[in-house]
Amino acid sequence: MKSSRHVYPPLLSRILGVWYRHMKVYTKNIFSNGFPPFVEPLIFLLGMGIGLGGQLKLEAFGTSNYVMFLAPGLIMTTAMFTAAYECSFGTFIRLEFDHVYDGMIAAPMTAGNLLGGEILWAGTKGFFFSSAVLLTVSLFGVINTPLALLAPFVGFLTGLMFGALSLLITSFVRTINHFNFYFTGLLSPMFFFSGVVIPVAKLPAGLREAAEVFPLTHTVRLSQALCLSRFSIVNLLDLVYVAVFIAGVTALAVMRLKKRLID
Amino acid sequence: MDQPAVATISAQKIHKSYGALAAVDSLSFTVKPSTCFAFLGPNGAGKTTMMKILYGKAKRDKKAGTALSVLGFDPEKHELEIKSRTGVVPQEDNLDVELDVLANLKIYARFYHIPGKEARKRIDGLLEFMELSDKKRSRIRDLSGGMKRRLLIARALLGNPELLILDEPTTGLDPQVRQLIWDKLRQLKSQGVTILLTTHYMDEAFQIADNVMIMDQGKKLLEGNPRELLGKHMETWVLEVTDKAAAKSFDHAGKKKIRREDAGERVLFYSNDPGVLSKMAARLAAGQYHLRPVNLEDLFLRVTGRKLNEIQ
Repeated sequence: MKSSRHVYPPLLSRILGVWYRHMKVYTKNIFSNGFPPFVEPLIFLLGMGIGLGGQLKLEAFGTSNYVMFLAPGLIMTTAMFTAAYECSFGTFIRLEFDHVYDGMIAAPMTAGNLLGGEILWAGTKGFFFSSAVLLTVSLFGVINTPLALLAPFVGFLTGLMFGALSLLITSFVRTINHFNFYFTGLLSPMFFFSGVVIPVAKLPAGLREAAEVFPLTHTVRLSQALCLSRFSIVNLLDLVYVAVFIAGVTALAVMRLKKRLID
Repeated sequence: MDQPAVATISAQKIHKSYGALAAVDSLSFTVKPSTCFAFLGPNGAGKTTMMKILYGKAKRDKKAGTALSVLGFDPEKHELEIKSRTGVVPQEDNLDVELDVLANLKIYARFYHIPGKEARKRIDGLLEFMELSDKKRSRIRDLSGGMKRRLLIARALLGNPELLILDEPTTGLDPQVRQLIWDKLRQLKSQGVTILLTTHYMDEAFQIADNVMIMDQGKKLLEGNPRELLGKHMETWVLEVTDKAAAKSFDHAGKKKIRREDAGERVLFYSNDPGVLSKMAARLAAGQYHLRPVNLEDLFLRVTGRKLNEIQ
């Protein structure tokens, strides 16, 4: 217990420490926690594919059946929702109810390290959930191109985007019920108007432009490129959007939430 | 490398306000290495806020003349250096309730960047030290309040801290656990750890603190060794009379040697001469009085006042 050392854990180790904590807590109940991403897409694809698919004119979607169009988008929306829950309700509970952050911030890490770890974990969950959906739809033969194996990495990016965005939202939230505005007011519209269920090009004017502002649109397009082999120059712009969004929103979220973590 | 003369904590004119409220108001104090220092004060005195400032959980106000050094570092600029050499035991449990004791400690071993093998060794050692070895696989929700508090202390010790900060370490615990925790803190101190704690229990401060700082509304009222403070500011004996009416007959008694204090339904007579007080007591019935040495709580109440503030 002597004082000649002036060292502290390196940056990566500080961020991965936070990640490790979340992984431990999440995998404690792996069966109940891991069940939804495998089963939910099945229900959705069956419902939409069987119920709605037969009634649609397929030329609008450019795929041989509706389920094939739907699958790449669902791989992203599942990443969006899991990251959003983690960094809204999850973060709020750790911050205000369980006081988990109070303990963590007393260990050798800064508020920025802690929040960086949160976003990295949201990305990881995005990757895991995307992989689960990809596996499920692949088993049913909906997706069969090897490039689709890269889709979970886009799910990781989706997780980072919505992890950062949700932290930013959390920085404004004083009571946990306010998250209803976020989920119903922002994420639900994004689900329907980001090219997941209807191609962006088929949306009415106005909504079409709005869709380009939504972060989800860009990773959905990247996922469709990989799963349906539909690449275009626009995908590069999508990547740029994603990179700028993650960097910008993370910086804003950290700046604002720091004030909640440090009195 | 070691310079025992250098203070572990040196705080000069620390201020912290939340809006119009001055939570910490120009506090100055020094904590010497391998000693135990206690913040005493009613709720709202600024004890927890001052603690948070030490390890960077709260930011002090920028004011002229303010200076703070913790283990030789300023928390504004070197929070990581301080945190990696400090253990913090919070007032509220913040253990991961879903996980078992071992997993909780493993997570914090990661935070302190302790390699796996070393971490396992240290965890076993600390569980033994805090007498929790048989609870290694227990879930947090199955632990008693005393076990949780001991686990929080074990967790704070994972990084081999030079400074241990404890916020009300024994609040709500039974006497056996309190005694055990005091004993562990004494052991740590003898191993060279500097201890800073807040407490509402004056006997706790008297038992384990080398120095105390009595504070109220963010300000320091008194600082020093508890025994010396008592000697300096208080008489040695007190006669507590629990019956106001019975105390009436003492209205003119021994003006020179006795100080009278009215405290609710009781009347207290302080004196350095126990003989005078026992003569008075002889005139009372058995259940009407209590003659005892003056303690730190008497001093505390004298300097902080008996009335409640608005947040008590």
